[in-house]
Amino acid sequence: MATTERPESRSVTDRVYDAVFHSYFWRSIFRSGYPNTPRNQMLAVATNVFLHLHPTRIHRTHVRITHTFCLGGLSFFLFLGLTITGVLLMFYYVPSIDRAYTDMQALETDVRFGMLMRNMHRWMAHGMVLTVLMHMMRVFYTGAYKPPREFNWVVGVVLLVLTLLLSFTGYLLPWDELAFWAITVGTNMVGSAPILGEPNRFVLIGGFDVGPNALIRFYTLHVIGLPLLAAIFMTVHFWRIRRDGGLARPL
Amino acid sequence: MVAGTPTAQSAAVRGRARRQREEELLVWPDLVFIEFIAATLFMLTFTLLSIAVNAPLQDQANPAHTPNPSKAPWYFLNLQELLLHMHPALAGVVVPTVALVALGAIPYYDNDNERQGEWLATPRAWTMVWIGTIVGFVGTLMLVIWDGQKHVVLWAQLTGKDVADWPEKLNWLRNARALQNDIAWPSSWEAVPLGSKILRTDLLGLPAIDLDVNIPAMIVEQMLPTGLMIGLPVLLSAVLWKLGIAKTRRDHMIVQFSGFISVFLTLTILGTFFRGLGMELFWFWEVSPAVS
Repeated sequence: MATTERPESRSVTDRVYDAVFHSYFWRSIFRSGYPNTPRNQMLAVATNVFLHLHPTRIHRTHVRITHTFCLGGLSFFLFLGLTITGVLLMFYYVPSIDRAYTDMQALETDVRFGMLMRNMHRWMAHGMVLTVLMHMMRVFYTGAYKPPREFNWVVGVVLLVLTLLLSFTGYLLPWDELAFWAITVGTNMVGSAPILGEPNRFVLIGGFDVGPNALIRFYTLHVIGLPLLAAIFMTVHFWRIRRDGGLARPL
Repeated sequence: MVAGTPTAQSAAVRGRARRQREEELLVWPDLVFIEFIAATLFMLTFTLLSIAVNAPLQDQANPAHTPNPSKAPWYFLNLQELLLHMHPALAGVVVPTVALVALGAIPYYDNDNERQGEWLATPRAWTMVWIGTIVGFVGTLMLVIWDGQKHVVLWAQLTGKDVADWPEKLNWLRNARALQNDIAWPSSWEAVPLGSKILRTDLLGLPAIDLDVNIPAMIVEQMLPTGLMIGLPVLLSAVLWKLGIAKTRRDHMIVQFSGFISVFLTLTILGTFFRGLGMELFWFWEVSPAVS
C-alpha cells in the first residue's frame, strides 16, 4: 500500500536556523552556505577578500606545524594586534613632553582596560621582534630563499629593519627614564657615523638632544610613517610568495 | 580534482608516482583551520601575559639624571656591547650596515637550489650549524672576557695571587686598550699629521685640514676590531674548507649564518644580563638595577 509522504512538522531549532541563515539579509552577506564540497571550498578561498591571499591548494608538507612554526603568519598577526591596540592607545596619548608621561599614568590608572591595552602593545612588540627574527632563521635553515625567491629574502631583511625601527620609535613614547635614556644611547650610535652621522642624528631627533622635537618625530614615524612603509613591504612580501609558487619545496 | 577522490585506476596508473596534485590539500579547511588555532593561541597567550605582567613605567624622563648604566632596547644591546670594544662609528653604524647588506646578499651567493624547502636537508648541514654556533659563542665570549680584563681575574683566582700581581711585562695583554698604552710606540706615531703632510688641500686653494692621526689608537679602535670581525669568520671557513668539512657554498653559508646568529645572541645576552654599573662585566646575579 502506497503511503503519501507528509512533511514532518519542523522543530523550533530548524525554524530559527532557517530564519537566520537562509534569510534575505544573511544571504546578501554570504552568498552561499558553508562550503562542504572541494569545489566550493576552493571558491570560498579564491573569492573571499580576506582569504584570497592564500592559494586554493597547498602541498601537504607545508601544513605541518614543524615546517614553518607559523612564524611568518604570527609576525603578521602580531602586526595586526599592534595596530589595533596602538589605535586604542592613540585615543589617550598626546605626544608632548608636558602630557606624554601623565597620559601614560592616566592610561594605567583612569582608563578602563588601559593598562591591559598598554601591556598587550608592549609584549606584542617584543614578541614581534622575536617572531620576525625566528622567521628569518626558519627561512634560512629550510633554504627557502633560493631561486626564484632571492628578492623576497631582501624584502624580508627590509621588513626586519622596519620592525626594529617601529619598536625603537615606540620605545621613546612613554617619556620615562627608561625611554629617554635608551633613545639617547641609541641615537648617539647613529651620531657616531663618519661625516653623515651628526646631520642624520639632528634630522632624526630634531635637535642636538632628545627633547620635544624628538618625541613628535618618533611619534609620527611610529604611528603612521613606518607602519605604512611596513604595510607596503608586507604587501610585496606576501604577493611574491604567491608569484614564486608558494612556499619553497624540494625540486 | 582533489586528493583522495576515488576513481577507477588502471594498472599503469596505480604503478606511477603520485602526482603533485594528489599531494596537495585544500587551504579551506586544512590551512585556514591551523591559522585560526595559531592566532587564537597567540591571542590567549598575550592576553594572559598582559594580565600577569605589567609593562614598565619608570619615573618621568629627566635629562639631568643619567642612570648608570643607561642601556638601549634589548635588540640593540648587541651593538651597545660592540660599542665598548671599538670605535663608535664602527660599532654603531658600519657593522650593522655591513651586516644587513651581507644578510640581504645571502641568496645571491648561495643560489644553488638543491634540497630547498626542507629543514637542513643538505649533507653536513647539522654539523655546520653546531660548528658555527659553538665557534661564534666561544670566540665572542673569549674576546669579551679579554677586553673586560676578566682573564686577569681568572689568572689571579687560579694562582691564588692578587689581580695587581699580573706581571708588568704582560701589561699589554690586559685588554685591547693596553695594546695602545702599554706598548712603547714611537711617539711620532701618536700624531701623524696627515693634514699638513699628505692631504695637502691647501695646495688646491681649499682650507687646510687639521688632521692628526694617532696610529696606536687607530689600531686598537679600528684595525684590530675590523680585522677580527672579518678575519675570524674567513679563517673559520678557510680551515673548514682545507679540512674538507665544509664543501659546498651552502655549507659555508650555514656555518657563517649560524656563527652570526650565535654572536648576535651572545652579545645581546651579555649586554642584557651581564653588564652592570659602568657597563662593567658582572655575573648576572650580581647586576644591580640602574641608579640615577
